Amino acid sequence: MGQLGLWVVRAAVGFGRACVVVAVSLLVPAVWAAAVALGIWWGAENPWSWLLPVVLVCVGTVALSRPVCRIVRLLVARWTATVIPDGYRQPGQLTRLSTGFWWNGFSYERTRRDALMDQKWRTRRHDPANWRDLRFIAIVPFTAGLVACAPPAGVVAAVLGLGRSESVARLVGVLGAVLAVAAAPYAWRPIEPVAVRFLRPSPAMALADRVTELTAQRADTTVAQAAEIRRIERDLHDGAQARLVALGLSLATARRLMETDPDQAKALMRDAQAGATASLAELRELIRGISPPVLSERGLADAVRALALDIPLDVSVSADDTALRLDPPIESAVYFGLAELLTNAVRHAGASRARVCLTRDDLGIVAEVEDDGRGGAGERAGGGLEGLRRRLAVFDGTLEITSPPGGPTRARMAVPCESL
Amino acid sequence: MRILVAEDLYLLRDGMVRLIEACGHQVVATAATGPETLDALRTWRPDVSVIDVRMPPTQSDEGLRAALTARAEVPGLPVLILSQHVEQLYARELLADGSGGIGYLLKESVFDADQFVGALERVAAGGTAMDPAVIAKLLSSGSPDRAFKRLTDREFAVLGLMAEGLSNQAIGRRLFLSESAIGKYTTSLFGKLGITDDEDGNRRVRAVLAYLNK
Repeated sequence: MGQLGLWVVRAAVGFGRACVVVAVSLLVPAVWAAAVALGIWWGAENPWSWLLPVVLVCVGTVALSRPVCRIVRLLVARWTATVIPDGYRQPGQLTRLSTGFWWNGFSYERTRRDALMDQKWRTRRHDPANWRDLRFIAIVPFTAGLVACAPPAGVVAAVLGLGRSESVARLVGVLGAVLAVAAAPYAWRPIEPVAVRFLRPSPAMALADRVTELTAQRADTTVAQAAEIRRIERDLHDGAQARLVALGLSLATARRLMETDPDQAKALMRDAQAGATASLAELRELIRGISPPVLSERGLADAVRALALDIPLDVSVSADDTALRLDPPIESAVYFGLAELLTNAVRHAGASRARVCLTRDDLGIVAEVEDDGRGGAGERAGGGLEGLRRRLAVFDGTLEITSPPGGPTRARMAVPCESL
Repeated sequence: MRILVAEDLYLLRDGMVRLIEACGHQVVATAATGPETLDALRTWRPDVSVIDVRMPPTQSDEGLRAALTARAEVPGLPVLILSQHVEQLYARELLADGSGGIGYLLKESVFDADQFVGALERVAAGGTAMDPAVIAKLLSSGSPDRAFKRLTDREFAVLGLMAEGLSNQAIGRRLFLSESAIGKYTTSLFGKLGITDDEDGNRRVRAVLAYLNK
C-alpha cells in the first residue's frame, strides 16, 4: 500500500511538472502559432498581411526569451538542485557627477531613472547571452517540451476516446490513459539535461566573466602592493634612515671632541652604539613584516611552528612536511593569513588554545585554524578578514569561516597550487 | 681558545676575527658557506665556533644545519650561533639534545666585546648563552605548566637570567642581590622543577631545557 501510494504521489507530481514544462516550453511556439493564425485570418489577398505576423514573431520571441530561460533555470534548480549559472552581463555602477548628471558607463543622463533605463537596455542589447537564450527557446519545444507533452496528451486522448462508443476510439482512449500514467513520473525529466547542455554560459561568456574577475583582482593586488611599498618606504625613512643619520652625527661630533673633551666623546660613542642597536632592532621588525626569516629559510611548515611559539596561546601545529615547499608568494599569503587568524583568536576571541592544520588535497593546500574562543567572528567591510579573503583571491584561494556565537571558530583557507 | 668563525659576509667575518684575536684567542679556521662550516667543524674540532644561521649556497639555514649535524656527531661540541634574528624554534632545536655548550645571540651582541667574548667562554665551558630577546619571548609565550606556576616571580626572573647564561654572581648584580641569595633561589627552583643534584653547570642547562619544553 505504501509503495503504491508513493508511486501515485510521484506520478501526480510528475504529471504536474510535465504540464508546467509544456506550458513554459510551448509559450514561444504558441506566439508563433498565434502569428500564423493572424496571418491566415487577415487573408491571403492583402499583399502586406505577412508584415504584422512577422513582427509579432520577432518581438514575441525576443521579449519572451529571457523570462522563459529564467523560469526554466528556476524550475531545474528547484526540482533537481542543479544550479545553472545564468552568465548575464551585470550593469555597472551609476555615478552622480558634480554637474548633477548621471554617468552610467555609456552616456550622461539627466535623471537617475533615465540613466538606469539606458544602461539596462545597452547592457541587454550587447549581451552575448541573448543568442544562447534564443537558441535555447528554439530547441526546447522540440526536445524536452515534446517529451513532456506525453502525459497531458495521453490524458486528452483518454478523455476523448473513452467518451465515444466506437471500439477503435475506446482502444485509443485506453492506450492514452496507460501512456499518461506510465510516462507521468519521467516525462518532465529531459528538461534538466537539455537546460544543462544549452543554457549554461558558453566558454566565451565564462572567459569574459573570468577576465572581468581577474581585472578586478589585478587592480586589488596592484593597490595592495603599492600601499605595502609605501609603508616600507615610510618605515625605513622615519626609522632606520633617521637613526643612521643621527648615528653619523654623533660619530662626527665625537671625532671633534676626541681631543678637547674625551669624556663627552665617550658618552656620544655610547649613544651611537645604542642607536645602532636600536636601528638594527627596527630593521629586524621591518624584515619580519615583509618576509619572516624562518619562512624564507625553512618554508611554510616550520614558519608556522615558529609562529605558534611566538603567539601567546597554546597552539598545536600539524603539518604534512614532505609536501609543503610551495611557491614563495603562496607560502607568504598562507603564512600571513594564519598569522592574522591566530592574532584574531588572541585578540578578539579570547581563546586559550588553538589548532593549526596544514594539509594538501587534490587541488592545492588547505590551512585550517580552530580555536576555543567565544566565536561570533564576522566579516566587516574593510576589516581584516575581508582583506585576507582578497589576498587569497589573488591566487584563486578561498576562505571559509564558521563561527557560531559561543564558539568554536573554525577558519579554512584553501589555495590551489599547480605545483602540487 | 681555538675558535672557528663561520660567516658569509666578509666585513663581519673579518671584524669578528679581529675582535677575537684582540681579546687574546686564536681563530683556527674561517668558513663562508654551509658545507665549508661542516668540514671545518669536523677537521678542526674547535673549542667553540661562531656560526651564522643564513649562509650560501642556498641562503637558507645552512649554518644552523651544519651546527646541528656536527653536534649530532660530536655531542656537546660547543657552538655559538650568531644571527640577525633570533627564533624560538631554532633555540629549541639547538637545546633539544640537552648537552649544553650552546649559545644563540643576536649579531649586535658583538658590539660589546667583553660580553661577546664572555659568552664565547661560557659556551666553550659547556654552559649556555641565550639572547635576552629569546628568553623574553619564552617567558611571555604559551601557558606555563604546573611546575612553573609554583615558581615565585623572583625565581622566575632568576631562571630567565640563568637561561641567558649568566653566573650566580652576574645574576646577583643584575637583581641587586647577594650571590648567596641567588644560590638559595637557584636551589629552590631546581627543587621545584624536580632537577636532581649533579654537577651545577649541567643542572642550569637542564633547568633552561625544562623551561623550553614546558
